[in-house]
Amino acid sequence: MNSGSVLGIFDSAELLVNAIPRVKAKAQGRLEAYTPYPIEGIDKLLGLRKSPIGGMVLIMGVIGAISTILFELWTSGIDYPLTTAGKPHLSWEAFIPIMFEVTVLFATFTAGLGMLLLLNRLPMFRDPMLSAKSMPLITRDKFALAVEFSGSDLDVDSITKLFQQAGAGQVEVIAKPAPVGAVSPNFFAGLFATIAVSCVIAGLLMYWAIKLFPVSPPISHMLVQPRLNSQRADGFFKNGFGMRLPVAGTVRRGAVSYSITSQENAAGLVNPYPRTNEILNQGRRTYNTYCSVCHGILGDGHPMLTAAYGAKPANLVSQQMIDLRDGEVYHVIRMGRNAMPSYTADLAENERWATVHYIRTLQRAMNARDDDIK
Amino acid sequence: MNKQTDKRLAATAALGLIGIIAAGLVFGWSRFWANWILWFLFLLTIGLGSLFIVALEHVVGARWSIPLRRVPERLSSLAVLMGPAALLALFSLHFLYPWTKPENLQNPVMAGKAVWLNERFFIWRVIGCVVLWAIAYWVFVSGSVRQDRDHNPSFNLRARRLAPLFMVVFGITITIVAFDWISSLEPEWYSDIFGVYIFAGTFLAGLAATTLTVLYLKSKGRLPEIKPDHIYNLGGFLFAFTVFWSYIGFAQYLLMWYANLPEEVLWYKERLQGAWGPLLLVLAIFHFLVPFFLLIPREAKSNPKFLFWTAAFILFSHWLDLYWMIFPVLGHGMHLGWPELSFGFFSIGGVLLWIRHSMSRGADMPVGDPFLREGLGFRL
Repeated sequence: MNSGSVLGIFDSAELLVNAIPRVKAKAQGRLEAYTPYPIEGIDKLLGLRKSPIGGMVLIMGVIGAISTILFELWTSGIDYPLTTAGKPHLSWEAFIPIMFEVTVLFATFTAGLGMLLLLNRLPMFRDPMLSAKSMPLITRDKFALAVEFSGSDLDVDSITKLFQQAGAGQVEVIAKPAPVGAVSPNFFAGLFATIAVSCVIAGLLMYWAIKLFPVSPPISHMLVQPRLNSQRADGFFKNGFGMRLPVAGTVRRGAVSYSITSQENAAGLVNPYPRTNEILNQGRRTYNTYCSVCHGILGDGHPMLTAAYGAKPANLVSQQMIDLRDGEVYHVIRMGRNAMPSYTADLAENERWATVHYIRTLQRAMNARDDDIK
Repeated sequence: MNKQTDKRLAATAALGLIGIIAAGLVFGWSRFWANWILWFLFLLTIGLGSLFIVALEHVVGARWSIPLRRVPERLSSLAVLMGPAALLALFSLHFLYPWTKPENLQNPVMAGKAVWLNERFFIWRVIGCVVLWAIAYWVFVSGSVRQDRDHNPSFNLRARRLAPLFMVVFGITITIVAFDWISSLEPEWYSDIFGVYIFAGTFLAGLAATTLTVLYLKSKGRLPEIKPDHIYNLGGFLFAFTVFWSYIGFAQYLLMWYANLPEEVLWYKERLQGAWGPLLLVLAIFHFLVPFFLLIPREAKSNPKFLFWTAAFILFSHWLDLYWMIFPVLGHGMHLGWPELSFGFFSIGGVLLWIRHSMSRGADMPVGDPFLREGLGFRL
C-alpha cells in the first residue's frame, strides 16, 4: 500500500494531545487531527505550516489600493477631466473613499474566495476520510489522529503499534483512492449549463410576471412617458390632432414671420438692438446657456463636453466667422446649420439678436490687439 | 515597590512644576492655560477611555478581559483626578475662549450660540460631568475593589444593569468635553461629528494606556496568569480603533472639504497654515499609517515588547492630535518648547506616581469576580 492514512481513535482530547509528539517522533508522513471541537494549540503541536491567507490579503489589499488610485488619477486627471464643485481635477481627498472601498473589496474577496477555493480546494466532493468507519464517532465524542502518506511505503503495523502504545482505543486504516481531480470538466459544464438555464427561466418568468401582473412597470429609461409628443395624433380632440391649430387670422404675440431660406439672403438683415450693457448681458446669459455647451465658453469650439460629442463644433472666433454678417449669424441661430439644430423654439427674438452681439464681443475679445492694453 | 523610582518620578514632577510656573511668568498665561487644557485633556481622555473599557466589559459581558480589568479600573481614577483640574481649568476661559468676551456677542454666530456657550452654563456642565464621572467611578471601580474582599457576585449584576446607563452618560459627557473644551476654542466652527472624533481618540488612549500598563506589570512579573491570547486581544483592539479614529477623522475632513462652507473650513484652514499643515501629515502618519502597518502581523499583536512600544507610540500620537487641535488658537506660529516639556514632566511624572501607588494597593486582578477563572482560561 503506498497511499492512504492510518487513523488512531482516542477517547479524550488529552490522550490525543499527548500522543501527537510521540507519533510525530517515530512516524513518517503528514499528521492531521480530526476532533469534534477545536483544540487549543493543536496546530502548533501538529507542526502545521502558517496559513498564507494573511499575506495574500495584505498583497491584494495593497494592489486594490494602488490600482484604484491609478485608475482614479487616469479617469479624473487624464481621460475625462470634469470640474466638480470647483475642486482641482486631481483631488486626493475624493479618491480616498473609493480607494478604501476597493481595498476592502479586494481584501475580503481574497480572504473568502482564497480560503475556500485556493487553500481548502473547494468544491471537493470526495475525501477518503469521509468514508472512514470511525467518522460518525469522530464527529461525536472521539478524537482521531491520522498519519497520511502518499507515494511512499508505510509500515502500517508499526504505526498501529505506535498508536496503541500512545493510548488509542482502536486503529483504522483507510486506503486513499488514486487522486482524482476534485472538479471534473463535467462539473463545470453542468454548472454553466445550470446557470444558463436558470438565467433563461428567470428571465422568462420575470417577463411574464411583468406582462401579466403589472405591479411595477419595467425599466424603460424614461422612454415611456405619460405625455403627448408634438406632431403626434391624439384622440382627445375631434380632429385627432394632438396639437391645437392657431386661431385663423391671428399671429402669436412677439412672433416675427421669417421667410428667408438661405444664409446669403439673410446677410442684409440689420441687428435692430443697440449694443447696451443690458443687451450684452442678456446675450451672455443666452450664449452661456445654449451655445457654450458646444462652442465653448470662449467661443473657440473647445467646450467641456467634446468627449461626449463626436462632431467638431465651429470656432466662432475664427476669421471666417468674423467675416460673416450679423444677419448670417442670426440666420444660423434661427435655422441651424450642419449638425446644429434651430434655436427658434428656445430663444425669443431679442435673445437671438443679443446673442449675435455677444458673439461679436467674444470675437473682439479673443482677437485682442496689442494696443488694447494701453 | 521601588522607593528609588518613586523619588525620581517625584523629582521629575517637581522639576516640571517649577518649569510650569516659570513658563507662566515668562511667556504669559495664554500659553500656560493652553498647556493646561492640553495636558488636562490628555490625562482625562486616558481616564475616561479606561472607564469606558471597564463599562464596556460589563455591557457586553466579556470574560476574556476580566483578568485585565483592574488595570483600566485603576487608570480610570484619572477621570476623577482630573475633576479638580477641570475646575482649575475654568480660569482659562477668559484667556483662550473667545465666546467669554462680551464684544464677541456682536458676532451673530457667537450670539446665536450664547444659549449654550455662556459661562454660567459652562461651569454647571463641567461640574455635572465631573460629578457623573465620580459616580461612575464609584459604581464600577470602588464596587469592583470591594468585591475583592467580600466576593459578592451581586456587584456583577449591579454593574451589568448600570453599565448601559453609563454608556449613555459617557456618550453625552464625552461630546460635551469635545464641544466645550476643544471645539469652543473656535466658537464659530461647526462640526457635528467632532464628539465621535474625540470619542475615537479617547477610547484609543484608554486602550493604549491599558496595554502599556498591563505589559509593564507583566514585564515586572506581576499578572503572571495573563496569556499571550489576552495580549493579542489588546493588540487587536488597538489596531481596530486606530482605523476607527482615522475613519472618523477623515470623514470629518472629507465632508468639510467637499462642502467648502465658511463656518466649517475655517477650523481646517487655520490648522493647515504654516507648520500646522505638515503637522497634520505627521499626525496622519503617526496616528494611522505607522500603527496600522505595525499591528497587521499576528506576531506583532502578541509580542509584549513590540506591543509596548507601539502602544506608547499611539499614546504619543494621541497627544499630538490634541496638540494639533488646541495650540493653533494661540496664533503666531507653533509653540513647542520647554513650557510644554515642563507640563509633560509634571503631568507624566505625577500621574505615573499616582498610578504606581494605586496599583500597589490591593490585588492586581479582580480576585472576587466569579468569572475570573473563565477569563483566565480564555484562548483565542
